[in-house]
Amino acid sequence: MKRSQPFNWLGWSSFALLLAAWELIAWETPKLLLYFPPVSRILAALGDALAAGTILQHGWVTLGRFAAGYLLSAGLAVTLGVLLGYFRYLHGLLATSIELLRPMPSVAIIPVAILLLGIGDGMIISVTVYASVWPILINSIDGVRRVDPTLIDTGRTFGLSSWQILRQIILPAASPYIVTGLRIGLSIALILVTTAEMIAGSKGLGFFILDEERAMNSANMYAGIVVVALLGYALNRLFLLLESRAMKWRHGMIVRQTA
Amino acid sequence: MAPRHDCAADGVMALRKFKGVGFLLMLLALWELAAQAEWINALIVPPPSKIFKLFFELVASGQIPMQILVSMKRALAGYLLAAAVFIPLGVFMGLSRTIYRLFEVIVEMLRPVPPPVVIPVALLFFGLGDEMKIFVIFFSCAWPILLNTIDGVRGVDWVLLNTARTFGLSRAKTVWQVILPACLPQILTGLRVSLPIMLILVVISEMVGSTDGIGYFVLDSQRRFRVAQMYAGMLALAILGYTLNQLFNLLQRLLLPWQRGRQLE
Repeated sequence: MKRSQPFNWLGWSSFALLLAAWELIAWETPKLLLYFPPVSRILAALGDALAAGTILQHGWVTLGRFAAGYLLSAGLAVTLGVLLGYFRYLHGLLATSIELLRPMPSVAIIPVAILLLGIGDGMIISVTVYASVWPILINSIDGVRRVDPTLIDTGRTFGLSSWQILRQIILPAASPYIVTGLRIGLSIALILVTTAEMIAGSKGLGFFILDEERAMNSANMYAGIVVVALLGYALNRLFLLLESRAMKWRHGMIVRQTA
Repeated sequence: MAPRHDCAADGVMALRKFKGVGFLLMLLALWELAAQAEWINALIVPPPSKIFKLFFELVASGQIPMQILVSMKRALAGYLLAAAVFIPLGVFMGLSRTIYRLFEVIVEMLRPVPPPVVIPVALLFFGLGDEMKIFVIFFSCAWPILLNTIDGVRGVDWVLLNTARTFGLSRAKTVWQVILPACLPQILTGLRVSLPIMLILVVISEMVGSTDGIGYFVLDSQRRFRVAQMYAGMLALAILGYTLNQLFNLLQRLLLPWQRGRQLE
């Protein structure tokens, strides 16, 4: 949790030990070779797939769909969330519909999307947008509603226009909530892209992994999983980096509040 | 924190609810009209009246309840297993720095794996059976439960721990009587976060590899072009998600009566 700590020797050695045990067990029991290919073989498969470029192609497709879906949904959900958070009437109008749609597991939309949009990129991007909209929307609404009314009143007293109040008071004050929503949305978007690729698709990492499983190339399957995990990790890191850049001003505030 | 109940606010809430329901009904009426008048392709988007009618028929015939029962058995098995393994692990990792560091890297390596990607692995090991879904749900519910438990245990007030020591409580008793109750809210947060994940993953795993369950039911209806049946299955899933959430709220209120006013904060 806390950064700036000494290197975790213990953790890395237990991880290495696990991999070594895996390697050893895999070599000792050839019967299990299909399920548990030795780590070295998975790495070799990963190297081969990287060299041949197949996995990068699939990864690129997945990343493109993810980026399109996530960015679209972020833009849509933050805008809508700020509007619904600010205009109570609008929120009252839509609240019931939102509450009824939200609990439905978002992947259930995939069959409808296939029906309406076929099995192309459009379908995959649409379901990604649909699923990741909810956490961002709900958090944005919440964030805007929790803005201290005193802040807004103060802004009005100082003669700020509505637009200025939105830009300079509401958005910064609500941003911690919006960022939380965006972070949850990120992992959901990745889940939806890979799922949609598994259910309907002929490209992308989700398809690649399931396809390799069906072809019984388990080393390739694991290699694909490593790539997806790396992708997920990298996206998360990137998000945290951008967040700490954008939210730098907040650190001072928290310290002041708790001091 | 503002008190949750005051009458004026309740009145406003009721009014708002009424408005929201009215708007929803209007949307449904518009949809019905558009489908009946063939403004939209009723083969792909059938009128809601047809969907609701079919939904009630499928519920009455027992078809939908049976599929939901199948899915819920798998979902709860994976969920409870994850809770049984990762709450204790989280307590240990929260209490001991060494245990935390021992597992930290492994957890950080596994956590960024998007859960659906585990499905092929589970298929390889377990085939199409229940175990496959249970494992996938177990894996994906693990992280929120584990991380929230660790956080909760670490956040326990030092005064409580020192008091327990002063009263000469044994280590085991301290864990049971002081630490667990103190971090119960956080543990429940982890369980709440994993609840929708559980539902999503049971649906996905049934879509990718299964011959029954509500997720299979919905996708199969689409593939056979039984469109109204597909929408009826989605309606069932929405109701299921809502019900699970309400049940969890109830559980939380039973377990944490002292937290009643602080929910959702």
